Amino acid sequence: MRNLVGYLINRFGWMLLTLWIVYSVSFVLMRSVPGNPFSSERTVPPAIERQLRARYNLDAPPLQQYFDYAVGIVTRGDLGWSIRLEDYSVNQVLAEGFPVSASLAIFGLVFAITLGIPAGVVSAVYRGSAADLSMMAIAVFGIAVPNFVLASLAILLFVFSVQIFPAAGWGTLSQVMLPALCLGAPVAAYIARLTRAGMLEVLNREHVRTAMAKGLSHRAVILKHVLPGAMLPVVSYLGPATAGVLTGSLVLEKIFAIPGMGSHFINAALQRDYTLAMGMVLTYTLLLFVMNSIVDISYAVIDPRVKLQ
Amino acid sequence: MSPEARKAFLSIAIVCVVAALAWASFFESLPPAEFSLQSGADVKTLDPARATGNIEGRILFELFEGLLRMMPEGEPDPETGLQPMAPKPGMAESFEVSNENKRYTFRLRDGIKWTDGTPVTSYDFAWSWQRVLHPGTASEYSFHLHSIPFAKAYSDATVAVGDRVEVEMWDRPDETPTGKATYQNYPRGTILYGTLQEIRKPPEPSDEEKKKNKNAEADWTESWVYVIDIAELDAQGNVQWDGPTKRQSFSSALKSPVADPDTQRAHMVLVAFDKLGGLETPDEKTFIVNLNDPIPYFPNIVAFYTLFPVNRACVEEHGSPLWTKAENIVTNGPFKLQLRRLRDRLRLEKNQDYYDADNVALNTVDFLSLEGENTALNMYETDQLQWVTMPPETVLEVLKQREDFYAAPQLSVYFYRLNVARPPLDNVLVRRAIAMAIDRVEIVEEVTKLGQLPATTIVPPGLAGYTSAEGFVPDVAKARELLAEAGFPGGRGMPRLTILYNTSEGHRSIAEVIQQQLQNNLNIAIELQNMEWGSFLDKVQQTDYQIARAGWIADYPDPNTFLDMWMTGNPQNNTNWSNKDYDELIRSAARETDPAKRMDLLRQAEQIWVDEMPVIPIYFYTSINVVKPNVKGFFPSAQDLHPLQLLRFDDSVTTND
Repeated sequence: MRNLVGYLINRFGWMLLTLWIVYSVSFVLMRSVPGNPFSSERTVPPAIERQLRARYNLDAPPLQQYFDYAVGIVTRGDLGWSIRLEDYSVNQVLAEGFPVSASLAIFGLVFAITLGIPAGVVSAVYRGSAADLSMMAIAVFGIAVPNFVLASLAILLFVFSVQIFPAAGWGTLSQVMLPALCLGAPVAAYIARLTRAGMLEVLNREHVRTAMAKGLSHRAVILKHVLPGAMLPVVSYLGPATAGVLTGSLVLEKIFAIPGMGSHFINAALQRDYTLAMGMVLTYTLLLFVMNSIVDISYAVIDPRVKLQ
Repeated sequence: MSPEARKAFLSIAIVCVVAALAWASFFESLPPAEFSLQSGADVKTLDPARATGNIEGRILFELFEGLLRMMPEGEPDPETGLQPMAPKPGMAESFEVSNENKRYTFRLRDGIKWTDGTPVTSYDFAWSWQRVLHPGTASEYSFHLHSIPFAKAYSDATVAVGDRVEVEMWDRPDETPTGKATYQNYPRGTILYGTLQEIRKPPEPSDEEKKKNKNAEADWTESWVYVIDIAELDAQGNVQWDGPTKRQSFSSALKSPVADPDTQRAHMVLVAFDKLGGLETPDEKTFIVNLNDPIPYFPNIVAFYTLFPVNRACVEEHGSPLWTKAENIVTNGPFKLQLRRLRDRLRLEKNQDYYDADNVALNTVDFLSLEGENTALNMYETDQLQWVTMPPETVLEVLKQREDFYAAPQLSVYFYRLNVARPPLDNVLVRRAIAMAIDRVEIVEEVTKLGQLPATTIVPPGLAGYTSAEGFVPDVAKARELLAEAGFPGGRGMPRLTILYNTSEGHRSIAEVIQQQLQNNLNIAIELQNMEWGSFLDKVQQTDYQIARAGWIADYPDPNTFLDMWMTGNPQNNTNWSNKDYDELIRSAARETDPAKRMDLLRQAEQIWVDEMPVIPIYFYTSINVVKPNVKGFFPSAQDLHPLQLLRFDDSVTTND
């Protein structure tokens, strides 16, 4: 338990440091690219542009802006007003987009795990069979094909040929299925391959042979003695997988018209929306850090050999 | 860790996953809307004074209503199918024009209400228009009101000694006498009126200081002290300009080196726009607008969303931009806002208090934020969407054959700006040679393929009463002659030119065709350079380019919107082109009362433009829409306006999928 607390404090310190570095680098980068948030095809008169800049504190010296904005985030959790979506504060944008992205990611991951692990187990147990070959072929396909191609195929198949799912939109369970499937597919493929490799490795271990020799049923051996060991690489992959699912959804968000956070990320950068871009970068940093820490902890729990440091 | 803990962990993990899944499967149910349309990107704002784009416009035309409203008038044009639109009575039931077309008297309808139940009055309009002009609102479209006396000076915040001015004291809510200014302009602080007697300025910072400190100039301007003879108000709120006055001094800086001990802190000193007779509100049903010039398209501007009224109580209570939230916003149009979700939709429902509500057929309308063009078409094909506003270019060939496809010429032009300060483009012969050597027919037939019209002038066809200037005739042989005359026979000695465009497939293909044509026809080497939008705009606005692509959509249906932007010093000019005769013609056209003469002056100006060719016109746009066949009341229009209150479902038409 002491290990855990120490580990968490340690991680928290690193997280703050990382966030600060990310904040500083983004701050400098955003302001050094050409263009500004108020560029538009119609030239804004200087008096009006000054008013606009004042509204976002962009008229202050850069160093002052750097501190003012940081103080706002730390003391009030206030990421400021979005410059391009001017009726919204960055906090509101995140509050609307994050739950959507999160639901999609949860469905995607659940799909990935429920499809990937059984496929990997079956492949390993019946190694060399037709089932193994076909499933691994599908897995290679799933990893290689980018998700927008997969999405187009899925739409052709499930929206137009067999009409079971709506084409796009957000708000009902049936609208989540297709995008979640496309989002989870590459992850499922990876998990299947990792499970299979892990299973094959453990199947040759001595404790498995002992268990078999004891006369335990094949099924019990696989579930009790092989699977837990084979899960280690899968669990360590789940950290980056969650990151991938959360950030990788932006293409799917566009194709399936899903109101998640992903599209804000790109638009904020392209439109020089300094505040929104900063909010997105910091949110993603935080998310990735938290996800990786959770994975590290669970890794330590599953594998007695791993110590939290 | 003990095996028990490990087991417990597994159970906890499973519980977490199940809980997460349950949370994720919970959706707030929203009944589907009767009518859904593709809105495009998220709207920037719902504040009419702050909005600028077409997407914002489409929604604001439904949520709010101005004194006048663009509605169909007359029969569609048999050739193009365009339905003519004209400013029709909206909140105003009628208007009269007097004083040589410079005084508009609007009579407001009876029984018009805001969605909070209060009546819409002439005071709402006077207040809203002044809000558009107020420098703190920073409206990009405030120039629409600049034809009203003192409006331009008010929105530019320029004052001169002798002007009748207003002073806003430093006492807006949430403001302390020594603190920073609040960004909320409304409610305003106490306003005093008076005549400006003197502006005291501390020594101006040197150019070096300005370079070192970007705010030096702004700080300096802020420290000016204004000495004003403050006049009194009578019981009706009229300013007694010639009555007794009291001399006082004001400054927005807390400590100004030129301040007196009794100098008071105040916000900007502006001309007293609301007390100088530009807008008159004799009673709550009458609204009078006086203009500097008899501009004939003023009713069109009145029907434009920047001039729509906003509810004063709502804005002052919630402040900007919070008043635009669905739970706060108060509107007066045929529809009202029920729900707004980013990247998802704006749900509008019929406004039962609208004066013409009986003739509004649709009860709920969804404006879906759909940026993916294929997504929109997929949804249309599966009946989730009734109107696609941006069909994907890749399938246009197929869509064009269908009866639910509407294409029509639009008041909009695609062109290439030339930087006339950069040799060899400073030579008019070179500019005309390039313009003539481009085969526009190839561009519209092989590249854009939407029935766009090749353009050799800047003003699109289809404007009532206007005949465009005589354009040039594309002619390669003539272009070669011109180029030789300019000193580049056969393109020899011609430096390489660069076409700058913002990153987009469409712009690239057009630029490539032009590159090839100029290479083959004139032996001019062209380089292509693409930039992402923000950087592209920066380059254009700093006139740091040779040739740059651009487009312009009419703000109002009048040739002036395409012509006044090329005047010397206009912020949209960006070509370094300047012609005194041209400027003078545009200015005299603005003063001309006779419509025919005015159009003639504008045509003469356009002729100068064509002869000088500071910009190469390429084509006039077409608007494209795909609308379900069972939707009635949809027709193409030159400004791509489609009032939703006219749409209704015709059940006799069945959609065949």
